[in-house]
Amino acid sequence: MILPPAPTSTTPVAVDAHTKILGIETSCDETAAAVVVGGSVVRSSVVSSQVDIHARFGGVVPEIASRAHVDLLTPVIAEALVESGLDGPDLDAVAATYGPGLVGSLLVGVSTAKALALVWDVPFVAVNHLEAHLYAALLEDPSLELPLVVLLVSGGHTMLVAMEHHGRYRLLGSTLDDAAGEAFDKVARYLGLGYPGGPAIDRIAMEGDPDAIAFPRAMQNDGLDFSFSGLKTAVINHVRKHPEASTADVAASFQEAVVDVLVTKARRAARQIGAKGLVLGGGVAANSQLRERFLSACVEDGVHGFLPSRDMCTDNAAMVASAAWYRLGADGPSGLDCGADPNLRLPLLTD
Amino acid sequence: MLILGLESATAQVGCAIGGHEGVLASSHSSRGKRHAENLTPAIRFVCEQARVELSDISCVAVDHGPGLFTGLRVGVASGKAIAQALRVPMIAVSSLDLLAFPLRFANRRVAAVVDARRGEVFWAFYRPVPGGLQRTSEPTVGSPEELAAELLALPGETLLCGDGAVRYADRFDRPDVEVAGGDQAHPSARSLVQLAHAKALREDWVRPHEIELLYLRKPDAEINWSTREGA
Repeated sequence: MILPPAPTSTTPVAVDAHTKILGIETSCDETAAAVVVGGSVVRSSVVSSQVDIHARFGGVVPEIASRAHVDLLTPVIAEALVESGLDGPDLDAVAATYGPGLVGSLLVGVSTAKALALVWDVPFVAVNHLEAHLYAALLEDPSLELPLVVLLVSGGHTMLVAMEHHGRYRLLGSTLDDAAGEAFDKVARYLGLGYPGGPAIDRIAMEGDPDAIAFPRAMQNDGLDFSFSGLKTAVINHVRKHPEASTADVAASFQEAVVDVLVTKARRAARQIGAKGLVLGGGVAANSQLRERFLSACVEDGVHGFLPSRDMCTDNAAMVASAAWYRLGADGPSGLDCGADPNLRLPLLTD
Repeated sequence: MLILGLESATAQVGCAIGGHEGVLASSHSSRGKRHAENLTPAIRFVCEQARVELSDISCVAVDHGPGLFTGLRVGVASGKAIAQALRVPMIAVSSLDLLAFPLRFANRRVAAVVDARRGEVFWAFYRPVPGGLQRTSEPTVGSPEELAAELLALPGETLLCGDGAVRYADRFDRPDVEVAGGDQAHPSARSLVQLAHAKALREDWVRPHEIELLYLRKPDAEINWSTREGA
């Protein structure tokens, strides 16, 4: 019988404002380590990005990412510990992302975290990367009250999640095809703007007219799911038909269409569940236009809106350590026989 | 001096503890791709069996390849973390050296052959010398046919070992070539501790961040890239 790779939870461990957790994140192309105290005080957060290594390939290459993680993780952890002013034995737990993500990359972080936990004789906590993104906002603004609606938008995910209690989530909507970040990357590549696509489009869109081209807003008036592959095709078709179109206008109009849909659906979701707060997470949350439109929508609707800092939106280990604090208190440590689960999903409540 | 050895270059994953007195305890498993799942519990088990605290370890040895990329990284990442936390040095030994080591009394030329997948193998040659084996070629990657051609050109008998030799045994079917199967198919953590001990006596060690993996093959994307660039 093949055992599932899911971590074996034991009994909850008491956590308090002094519980110090080392978090490790290696699910994609960022090698990160952080020390967070009491679930919300970030003592250090070190992120070593591999963007430059992958740029010439136009996307993340899994084998190259794994090789970089194994070289970078030791110095990144050392730096996080030095910056935090804490030594290994002072820590109360070691946490790592065990999915979803690239399996070879995840295994480097999981193996490292388990080995450190073994040496320091402290609990190991396996953290769901998506759950960590949900905690990024709470980490920076502990005054946020549940229930919350989180719009999680990255290169791999586009979803609206209702966070009703800690560790209990309801999926309100998600993309039926491409993730929003994926659409940014693909359109940027088509327009010859390079990789990563998000920041490239964000930059050039500032010089363009967002109303120049009326790209389709798929399913805008319909439910809480998303679809971006039609939009991507529409951009390509438009450029083929109008090769003279200004790239800045195309980028700005494309971005406007994505942001329109994201903001409309996030507002609808918040109204639907009577959320007290609406927060943004994931790499695309660093997009300037999305941030601006999102905040003004929250003000208009009278919802507590929160935008995590750009550093907290992208992959980092502080959010992993923070999520681990809640997990440790609610479910207890994970087993040392934990592996990686590249297709891990959010633990969802079902009706 | 106590050495913790972690070996995960092939389908097998192993862990051993030893020192001056030889190997005190070891554990090996080869049931599917479960390197990360099995290695950490194995380290704890081996420490308990050897009645050793991890804090008594004075050096961490790892197999740095060549072998399965993901498997290797599980062992190397774990080893680096332990060495970093304990503030002890590390020793890296090649999987091919580990495979050849148990055959040091065979009095023949030895070729260690690791399955590299995609129809290729990693290999190196060794010759018997007083007190052990000496590697006579650099670790290399190629097709089993290329290795067979090299064997054909060599005088005298050769003993092949490793999962690559077992998998492609039919390509090496010659009167002066023998394939050692069974126990000799995977590098062992027991050999790792013994070879690392000899290196440790010479203080031939490195710091955790200086460990380099012996991949012998570039990531596909880089190969495609250099082909496209005509480099």
